[in-house]
Amino acid sequence: MKRWIEAIVFWGLFALLWEYGVALFGIRSYLMPPLSKVISAGWQERELILSESWVTLLEVLVGFVAAVFGGVLLGVAIHFNDFAKRTLYPFITALQSMPKIALAPLMIVWFGYGFASKIASTFLFAFFPLVIATLGGLSGIAANLDEHFRALGASRWDTFIRLQLPSALPSFVDGVKIAMPLAVIGAIVGEFIGSEKGLGHLMTLATANAQTDLMFAAILVITFLASMLYWGVEVLSRAVWWRGKTA
Amino acid sequence: MPAPQEAVAKEVIRVADVVKRFPGKHAVNALEDVSLSIGEREFVSILGPSGCGKSTLLRIVAGLVPHSEGVVQVNNRAITKPVPEIGVVFQSSNMLPWLTVEQNMMLGAQLRKIPAESIAPKVRELTRMLGLSGFENNHPHELSGGMRQRASIGQILALDPSILLMDEPFGALDALTRDLLNVELLRIWQERMQTVLLVTHSIQEAVFLSDRVLVMSARPGRITHDIAIDLPRPRRPESIKGNPRYGEYIAQISQIMGVY
Repeated sequence: MKRWIEAIVFWGLFALLWEYGVALFGIRSYLMPPLSKVISAGWQERELILSESWVTLLEVLVGFVAAVFGGVLLGVAIHFNDFAKRTLYPFITALQSMPKIALAPLMIVWFGYGFASKIASTFLFAFFPLVIATLGGLSGIAANLDEHFRALGASRWDTFIRLQLPSALPSFVDGVKIAMPLAVIGAIVGEFIGSEKGLGHLMTLATANAQTDLMFAAILVITFLASMLYWGVEVLSRAVWWRGKTA
Repeated sequence: MPAPQEAVAKEVIRVADVVKRFPGKHAVNALEDVSLSIGEREFVSILGPSGCGKSTLLRIVAGLVPHSEGVVQVNNRAITKPVPEIGVVFQSSNMLPWLTVEQNMMLGAQLRKIPAESIAPKVRELTRMLGLSGFENNHPHELSGGMRQRASIGQILALDPSILLMDEPFGALDALTRDLLNVELLRIWQERMQTVLLVTHSIQEAVFLSDRVLVMSARPGRITHDIAIDLPRPRRPESIKGNPRYGEYIAQISQIMGVY
């Protein structure tokens, strides 16, 4: 219970500092409005914010799920196929070192201003850590367990399902935790570059209209959204409890 | 006491002139002209300095590692891959951390496609025999190292292999636990009478458990001595450890291995 109180007090102080700090230090409102103005601007535009949030959330979720499937499939393919390891893997790592943000405009050119380009951008941001995490998990299987399965004459399928998959899960979960916030960034970046909807679009609009308070409201909502998504992943990841457990 | 010649009445494991080379720049034969024969229900231990290739030899017999030259047969069939009549226990526990002790003990049967119903009573019996009752639903990390290793052995024994290969199964355990498990192992073996090949670096363990002790030399790995252990069975620590012949065997083997 005490930890709750500590957190509430901390956030309360943070809110107070924001609210009165800006006046105290004479920061002008168009640079940083007080918290109350941000909240009232957000409340005024609540319907707009809600509908734009829904758009962004959908982009993040669809792009993220696609990245999970794609990342795992590619990771598995690279791990089990020597040809893919020699060809696809260096290609992926080269692609990985490219700044994804530079590819986002290309996504707009290829997939237009709508939903599809945002999915592509989200996918691009979230995909690589998932490939790397899947690969890392699969290659980190204890050699003694691998030999044990061989000695028991385990089929390739059984070895995959009963040994390799569960062994790889902790690393995969790490990848998911890294990829989730990246997916949000991917969606917002996609919306920045060219869109008619979404929280990123709302932010560009607010900037153009010098509505700093609305912009901050959008930032707060995005932060809240990303935190909730991360928290959801964190809760789900507790199902993989055997990380670092000796056996 | 059966002499080695009598004990090999029915030959179960036959290794003849086996050579194992690991490819590489400074290639040394890990095993050179290794020959051995193990009869049905014989308990044979291999002793040797670390790096003598005793574990490699065991893995070759298990079908886990290919040999370079020679003949390796189990029940008159050449070994090219793991076979169901062999059970292997390794030095490190084979428990999967995400399964319970009971699930782990059933795993071997699942992988070998043996129906769960047919093995469940055996697993229950082994759980009791190995002192794991009450821990069936615990996960391996909640157990001590000794208990994990017992469960690992239980998983293999549940498959009722006619041949048991063990690679320093108690090597990672403290001396006390090791002695206790040796006694348990002997009791189980006396009840079930599998053919056992045990790789160990404990002379006491080898003498206490075995019908025969093979001593290996290192680089290249060769079997230099084959010593029949003529001690009465059933063996119990209190009866064996006071037996003067037990001490003599240990002294003899220690001298051979240059431990004195």
